[in-house]
Amino acid sequence: MELRRASSLELDGGVPLHGGTELVPLLRSGILRADTLVDVRGVVPRGITGSTIGAGTTLAELEGAAQIPDALREACRLAASPQLRNVGSLGGNLLQSTRCWYWRLKWPCRLHGGDECFAQEGEHREHAIFENGFCASAHPSDVAAALVALGATLRTSKRELPVGELYRVPTEDDRRTTTLEPDELLLAVELEQCDRSVYLKAMERKRWAFPLVGVAAARTGDKTRIALAGVAPIPWLLEGDFEQATPLPRNAYKVDVAKALVKRAVAALEAG
Amino acid sequence: MARLIRTEKEVEGRYEEVWLVVEEDALEQWPAGPREIVGRPAARIDGLERARGEAVYTADLKLPGMLHAAVLRSPYAHARVARIDLAPALALEGVHAAIGPGELDVLVEECGFQGAAIAAVCADTYEQARSAVAAIEVEWEQLEVLIDPDEAVARGQLLGEPRLRSRGDFERGLAEADLVVTGEYSTQVVLHNSMETHQAVVQWLGDSLEIYISTQYIWGIRDEVASTLGLPADKVRVVCHYMGGGFGSKNGADDYTFIAIELAKRTLRPVRCALTRREENLATGNRNATIQRLTIGARSDGTLTALGGDYVNATGWGGWSSPVEGPMQMLYACDNVKTTTWAAKINQPPMKAFRAPGFVEGTFGLESLLDVLAAKLDIDPLELRRRNYADHDASDSRPYSGKNLLECYRRAEPHWERRHEVRARSTETVKRGVGMASQIWYGGGGPPSYAWVRVGSDGRATVITAMQDIGTGTRTAMAQIAAEELGIPLDHVLVSLGDSARGPFASISAGSSTTPSMGPAVRAAAADARRQIEEIAAQRGTPEAPLAEIVGLLEDAQILGKGGRGPNPAGMQVLTFGVQVAEVAVDVETGEVWVDRIAAVHDVGRVINPLGASSQIEGGIIQGIGHTLSEHRLHDPRTGQILTTGLDAYKLPTFADVPEIVSELIDEPDTQLTNLGSKGLGEPPIVPTAAAISNAIRDATGAEVHELPISREEMLRALREAAAKEKVGAPAGV
Repeated sequence: MELRRASSLELDGGVPLHGGTELVPLLRSGILRADTLVDVRGVVPRGITGSTIGAGTTLAELEGAAQIPDALREACRLAASPQLRNVGSLGGNLLQSTRCWYWRLKWPCRLHGGDECFAQEGEHREHAIFENGFCASAHPSDVAAALVALGATLRTSKRELPVGELYRVPTEDDRRTTTLEPDELLLAVELEQCDRSVYLKAMERKRWAFPLVGVAAARTGDKTRIALAGVAPIPWLLEGDFEQATPLPRNAYKVDVAKALVKRAVAALEAG
Repeated sequence: MARLIRTEKEVEGRYEEVWLVVEEDALEQWPAGPREIVGRPAARIDGLERARGEAVYTADLKLPGMLHAAVLRSPYAHARVARIDLAPALALEGVHAAIGPGELDVLVEECGFQGAAIAAVCADTYEQARSAVAAIEVEWEQLEVLIDPDEAVARGQLLGEPRLRSRGDFERGLAEADLVVTGEYSTQVVLHNSMETHQAVVQWLGDSLEIYISTQYIWGIRDEVASTLGLPADKVRVVCHYMGGGFGSKNGADDYTFIAIELAKRTLRPVRCALTRREENLATGNRNATIQRLTIGARSDGTLTALGGDYVNATGWGGWSSPVEGPMQMLYACDNVKTTTWAAKINQPPMKAFRAPGFVEGTFGLESLLDVLAAKLDIDPLELRRRNYADHDASDSRPYSGKNLLECYRRAEPHWERRHEVRARSTETVKRGVGMASQIWYGGGGPPSYAWVRVGSDGRATVITAMQDIGTGTRTAMAQIAAEELGIPLDHVLVSLGDSARGPFASISAGSSTTPSMGPAVRAAAADARRQIEEIAAQRGTPEAPLAEIVGLLEDAQILGKGGRGPNPAGMQVLTFGVQVAEVAVDVETGEVWVDRIAAVHDVGRVINPLGASSQIEGGIIQGIGHTLSEHRLHDPRTGQILTTGLDAYKLPTFADVPEIVSELIDEPDTQLTNLGSKGLGEPPIVPTAAAISNAIRDATGAEVHELPISREEMLRALREAAAKEKVGAPAGV
């Protein structure tokens, strides 16, 4: 495997490396293969300028930034551990893969091109309660849920798009979970004006755990947007209520937890 | 003088009758209370070298020319190797040797669990060894898996006969009861996950073998390896100077040691076999899951009339049946007790001892159900326990060598009284409560164990014994005992340990036995040295002269004291006791549980180092909180394959999960036990933690949890169940 430093936004088929907290484990476990790693730290913007956040900004830098919305700051603070947040980047966080143990252990599941979702009949207490009919994986990013709720826009080396459109629910014909194109690089996030926002997270211990359920809520004027982490194969924009949830036998508790956190998040927005 | 006795030997609740040669123990115990050095807090004498990274652990060791081994393990829970070809591995660069099924006892063809070792390779680098293992070609024949422990019991697929223990007449006891409560409790598989993974570095020197290993039992490794290889035991030298934790999982030599030995033999090079964190999560033992179906009968005044338990240990493909029924048999006075314990042989990795094996699990079930009884009888839980206090061993009528559980209860009262104030801080969504649970466990240690003490003309002493310090602070405690006995400052004592070639036999560090086994031997050796120094002083006509003055005359001469561990008191039961009081908060909407505070009061006899003791209590409670709330080794229910293989998915507690911990020790020497009156404290603090937390949850919410870990799913289920009961009106009694 070769490592080169990026001098432009062209990846030329290489795999971009920033903090490496997700990429390196995937390479080591053999889930991801790469001939060339491209160190993009020199070309991806880092830092906060007005309402623009460079995709190379670390989670630690964001959790300490007073000027960004509460939901994003809290999502960063409640993610991972201090060590991971010191190197993990915003862009890398948005592109994390699921923590589904079957997928991480390379079971031949649908996301790996196979014809079965092992979690559905197997061990799925941390899995999805929405859109879990094809693949029950849960999206692990606290930050992605926060940005979806905040209505943020993503700028890449090729286009601009709402953050939510970076993600797709995998299907029989197309197993991908993002819309990222080959050689496309995340560059920055553009935040919208927001009056008040909040991020609440349920996890299995007090720190350093992926969300069982994360709830981001943002209010602008009389419009409130709510997005959830850990409940669907993608960051889940909550439209309506939980009627459409399709929990599996051992993860129905997530519906209860999500309802409670949504109620609290809305109350917190109103209190402001 | 040595003496031959017939005695009962206990390790972690397992007894055997043995002949033992023991040393007489003629020393009087010191009076109770802190001495000059013993009984006063001492920072670890090896703390700085550990903190600076200077302490050499097995994991740090690099011998010249050392090769690295990697192990091929079964990916399936039950499978047979139909064909294996090691040639592709041997063809790779840097590879020196490869061994497969049948070439060693620990390399098997039929694997009864995921993680069973089938082949191993050694190479110049670890990366080369891993690549070579990946290159081995294997055709697997997958076999039917049996994972459900109840199903294994129904089919009679057991490890050994069911263990039936009965006293009195259980049925009659039920008939005499005014109230009978029943409950089914289950506990999960949890892992030791020591910071230092299981590993050994081995080299042959002619026909002698040197084994550097992360172990809890230097001498056990020596004897196990010698007998397996047919070597005289003194041809095997075992070294462990520093050790990164074991918790019961490093009592034996295991596959990695024998793999390193064989590969070292074949290559004539030193070989390291160090397991990865993933292997640690598969194949190095666990606290097995249990199912406990319990019945308690009591009179309306709270007197227990019947205790019954059907226990299933989901033992795995090997291991032994842990004494999960022990607390029910031993904790309370009750005339009619009947327990049956099955060990289900299932296609899961074998259990190993894990910090009070069986008693942690059994205490959770028993003490949880006891609080259900207390609530139904409307008796204060602490009072209920006092009313059923056992004043002699409840299981076999022997007197206790010492028991201060009532004093523990008394000292726990101020913590227990906080419950009114704690409950009052509840809100609509966050309910708070306080719960308690009692602790019973072994921890008396036993003979044999030996120590030497060497005193030179500089007035400094070295304690020499081939024991191991598994991270518990043993070095410091032994130095304190020697310094106290010799009357010299603590920093004048060195402790030389960790090498079977440099010192006499010392006990296993398991079953909370290191301090009670080794401490008396060290004191006896120091006393022997002191007696010799006093004799010299008397000859000189200055019997009152200070030690430094007398040894100052020695020049190159040295005083050599030796001491051995005397016998345990005949016909007595030596046990440790305690109580913990937990304060929790439960978010009744999200099922989140916080532990705010745990107060622990334990009775382990004389305390050698109060600072080390409080560390042990904190460590036990933190590990207990992980067991109670977040740790869970998960497997796929269809294939039995393990799903949590790293510390991302297997959730140990973090510092943020650690509550305020208040630790108190009775510090009353056990007058019957050795020249110190000290018992062990490694295991007692983890025993009652889960039960205290579950009882606090019940106090806070009325919800009865039945399953560990108390996940959000289990917490919300219990809350729903409690709400439904309240709606129909709580049934009063039976």
